[in-house]
Amino acid sequence: MKVLMNQENKEYRSVKIGLEIHCQLTCLQSKLFCSCFCNYHGLEPNRNICPICCGHPGTLPLLNKAAVEVACMVSLALDCKVPDNITFYRKNYFYQDLPKNFQLTQYNAYGITSIGVDGRLDYGEKASRIRRVQLEEDPGRLVYESGGVDFSSSYTLIDYNRAGISLVEIVTEPDFTDPKDVRIFLNKITSIIEHLGVCNTKRQGSVRCDANISIQGGKRVEIKNVGSFKEVEKALNYEIARQKTMSMHDIKVLAETRDWDDARKVTKQSRAKEEEQDYRYFPEPDLPTIALDEEYVSSIRMKMPELPYERKNRFTANYELSEHIAQVLIDNKELADFFESAVKIYSSSKEIANWMVTEILRYTEEDIMEPKINSSSISTQSSSSFAGLKIEAKHVAELAELIDKNIINRNTAKIILTQIIKTGEMPSQVLARTDVLKIEDKVIISDAVESVFKTENSAVRDAKNNPNVANFLLGKVMKITKGRADPKITLNLIKIKLDGLN
Amino acid sequence: MDSRETIKYLCSLSKLEITEEELVKYELQIEGIIKYLDKLDSITLSDIEPISQERNSYQLREDNAKSSRTDLLEYTINKEGRFIKGARIT
Amino acid sequence: MSKLYERSANEINAGIRGGEFTAEEYIHQILERIDKVNPKVNAVICTDRKGALEKARLVDKKIREDEKIGPLAGIAVGIKDNICTRDLKTTCASKMLQEYIPPYDATVVRRLKDDDAIIIGKLNLDEFAMGSSTEFSSFGPTINPWNTDYVAGGSSGGSAASVAASECPVSLGSDTGGSIRCPASFCSVVGLKPTYGHVSRFGLIPYANSLEQIGPIGKTVSDVVMIMKTIAGADDKDQTVQVTYRTPDYTLSSNEKMRIGLVRELTEGAEPEISKQIYSAMDLFTNLDCKCEEVSMDYVEYALSSYYTIALAEASSNLSRYDNIRYGFNFAPDGYEWNAYFAKIRSNFGDEVKRRIIVGTYVLSSAYYGKYYLKAQKIRTMLKQELRSLFKKYDILIAPTMPILPFKFGEKIDDPIKMFMIDIDTVIANLAGVPAITVPAGFSNDLPIGLQMIAGEFQEQKLFNAALLFESKTNIDRNPEL
Repeated sequence: MKVLMNQENKEYRSVKIGLEIHCQLTCLQSKLFCSCFCNYHGLEPNRNICPICCGHPGTLPLLNKAAVEVACMVSLALDCKVPDNITFYRKNYFYQDLPKNFQLTQYNAYGITSIGVDGRLDYGEKASRIRRVQLEEDPGRLVYESGGVDFSSSYTLIDYNRAGISLVEIVTEPDFTDPKDVRIFLNKITSIIEHLGVCNTKRQGSVRCDANISIQGGKRVEIKNVGSFKEVEKALNYEIARQKTMSMHDIKVLAETRDWDDARKVTKQSRAKEEEQDYRYFPEPDLPTIALDEEYVSSIRMKMPELPYERKNRFTANYELSEHIAQVLIDNKELADFFESAVKIYSSSKEIANWMVTEILRYTEEDIMEPKINSSSISTQSSSSFAGLKIEAKHVAELAELIDKNIINRNTAKIILTQIIKTGEMPSQVLARTDVLKIEDKVIISDAVESVFKTENSAVRDAKNNPNVANFLLGKVMKITKGRADPKITLNLIKIKLDGLN
Repeated sequence: MDSRETIKYLCSLSKLEITEEELVKYELQIEGIIKYLDKLDSITLSDIEPISQERNSYQLREDNAKSSRTDLLEYTINKEGRFIKGARIT
Repeated sequence: MSKLYERSANEINAGIRGGEFTAEEYIHQILERIDKVNPKVNAVICTDRKGALEKARLVDKKIREDEKIGPLAGIAVGIKDNICTRDLKTTCASKMLQEYIPPYDATVVRRLKDDDAIIIGKLNLDEFAMGSSTEFSSFGPTINPWNTDYVAGGSSGGSAASVAASECPVSLGSDTGGSIRCPASFCSVVGLKPTYGHVSRFGLIPYANSLEQIGPIGKTVSDVVMIMKTIAGADDKDQTVQVTYRTPDYTLSSNEKMRIGLVRELTEGAEPEISKQIYSAMDLFTNLDCKCEEVSMDYVEYALSSYYTIALAEASSNLSRYDNIRYGFNFAPDGYEWNAYFAKIRSNFGDEVKRRIIVGTYVLSSAYYGKYYLKAQKIRTMLKQELRSLFKKYDILIAPTMPILPFKFGEKIDDPIKMFMIDIDTVIANLAGVPAITVPAGFSNDLPIGLQMIAGEFQEQKLFNAALLFESKTNIDRNPEL
């Protein structure tokens, strides 16, 4: 038993995981090499295409200036070195979603040409080295005839709306040994991407992660088609188990690409798998080398929005928030933005932070959230509303003020909050409409009744003989609930309680 | 170099389908061309960096989006609805 | 007014402006001329009668109504069929694009149209511009108007032959390794390959993108200059265009005392009749007070292998996009598995194209990248540097355009290396990215010989000066009997 456990640990320690994260630069207006729209959602298929992104003969790629700036910014945020020159390379392979049958990307085997190299990202106690950051184009999309993956379809349908969208690819060294760490790391990356404002990470497909994993120095397996960052940890755990099982039975693990099947939660041999491909990389002759001088890089650095760790430090220092609460806010940029807007209006930072973390955060659960409108520029993002709901910073600010001034208690505030979500009124407006403030929650009323019963002992004892006691107690409950308890429910509960005592 | 196998491999890499006759015809010609290109081996240029065209970051295209004037689908032969038709995957 | 087709572009423009004849009248004569001689020459593969007449009438209307007309008003221009013309079939003389109708105009075409030139039709070429004789066309070969047993040169055979045969006074060709200069030389007309980055390649269906340029062909140097003024200059649709000015201001003066270098290796390597002609040219310049010397170039011997490595590598990648999915010809993918479909479609390339794709794929494969492609690029660097230092001492270099006289059909098509070798004089300018022009220099056995002049980057003016000078002092026949 002991021996087995040691073996297990040894295997676990020798797990090596590397990540390739693709992030669409949704903050841009146009595609990477042409003026088609970057945001095409809602458009019919093949409405967002032009001769360039469809690879028509004689067309030439026209590199997007802002894309280079954004990619440079991502490199700097990951502590990469930005080289003096960047070049684009052709990665030659055939596939129907690839309009030119080569992808324009970057490649460092013959000299550093990509937008960032040798970076590093700390996450908690650990860190991962970033091998490189590169700019490249997204392919189009294949849709299958029968609306699902049907191999016997007699043809395929292709939509090139996505072809040519700018992608930043972040490649890590295989520094991860635990899928849990991968999850933490990916959350960190998401936070950085959100803080930079370069990608709307909540949109389906805007960030993708492929993982490379090898165990005990064995062959490397690439896992693709993982739908979201959340699934990556699951896929990796599955793959580790699969490989361990194989080695226990002395079956060799093959070097291959496997797709993650989200429905069945397994990895399987890739359908689109080809033999080890020779991509015949060479520099794209239609694009010159782009010189990035020191001035350029410093100007990007200066324009960069505040990074998560910088913001957290500011939160703990200036707002006197605890590390934990600051971290929770930072981990969700929208929440952090919302928090700061509210604090600008009413400066009770601890109270507001508390509200954010306890109540408002619930609304970031995906099933409650409304679909979002994408914000398009790097520096401005609407931060005074939240999750597409009607609640705004001013509501939370006023709520905090009312609590601070003892006008309402936290319970009442919670109720008011549910109203605000529905109607968008200010808390004071809701307060003014007393019938809306009616407390109908039996638990809350019970509590009030309990506390009245405790303080009005003599009246309670009299209740046996005096039927009016119930009304008297009702009055007391109304007083402590500031007139908001529902009289009928309250009376009923009082009567039940009195009966119980007899 | 095993010409025939190499040529077959190169054809599969470049999705070219050639007949046996073509293979026979091309084999000598391709061998000859490659042998001619081997002339490059007769000179050593290890310290030379290839000159490439350069441009500054501000000489690139501004990030402005616009709709295409023409509907490219009108110029496409194989299509279904708004989709372009391709061959099946397997 | 008759035989308007014999007039130069400049003369046509002047005649139409001066009211001597109308554009419509002129175009009718051009169309008749094409109908008469094209069956012999096979230079024009697609005549746009409707479009040309419509444009001619438009030009006439503008003139009648005193509206401003462009500097090329009324001039008939032929376009090599690897340059995209909107709504007019563009095939690259390949079965692969046999039904391709571009949804856009190449920049050079748009500029010609904006300056009121009249696009008369599309001109024959070697398939995808790969060849030096226009024998590799799916439309059949183009015949040399000077002697119907001989090739017209290539790959812009149609562009040169159509001008020589007076089917149009000027045309556009493309030059990757000599494809404008070779046929121009073989057909006794003037052809210019501009500096790389001088003329937009947007709309040029690429063979080898780091080597090629679109350029004009005409019977006279001033006609060539006229077209260059329209087509050259900055274009935001091509990020490899190096110049920032839009319209170059070339002059037509020819009074300059130039320093001229004759490239020994190229001149001595040519057939004796050709060498003789080049040395005579040198004498002519010397007698005109130019300073002439022989020069030697160290890297010439590696130029061809360097050129073909780079060209074939780029070509193999440029031609990957032809899978008939987004454009091509009518052959539905229904029922095919995609690998099989692609292979079936791509079997429509001709032999020469297939060979080049195969070799190009080979030299780009990761095992050989350093040995071939990277090495070839280094040779290029050496050549560039060598020329840069030569052009500090000389205004232009001269050499033969072709090492051989025009040859007969079938003489070289079975041996690729034999065919490659005839590019030896022309590839240097493409590798180094410098401009080069060919002007008619004489005949041998009634077959044309071209004199090539090469200048430094963006020094087209020097080429024009030298070419105009040479042209004015010689009187070489440019009108074959047809």
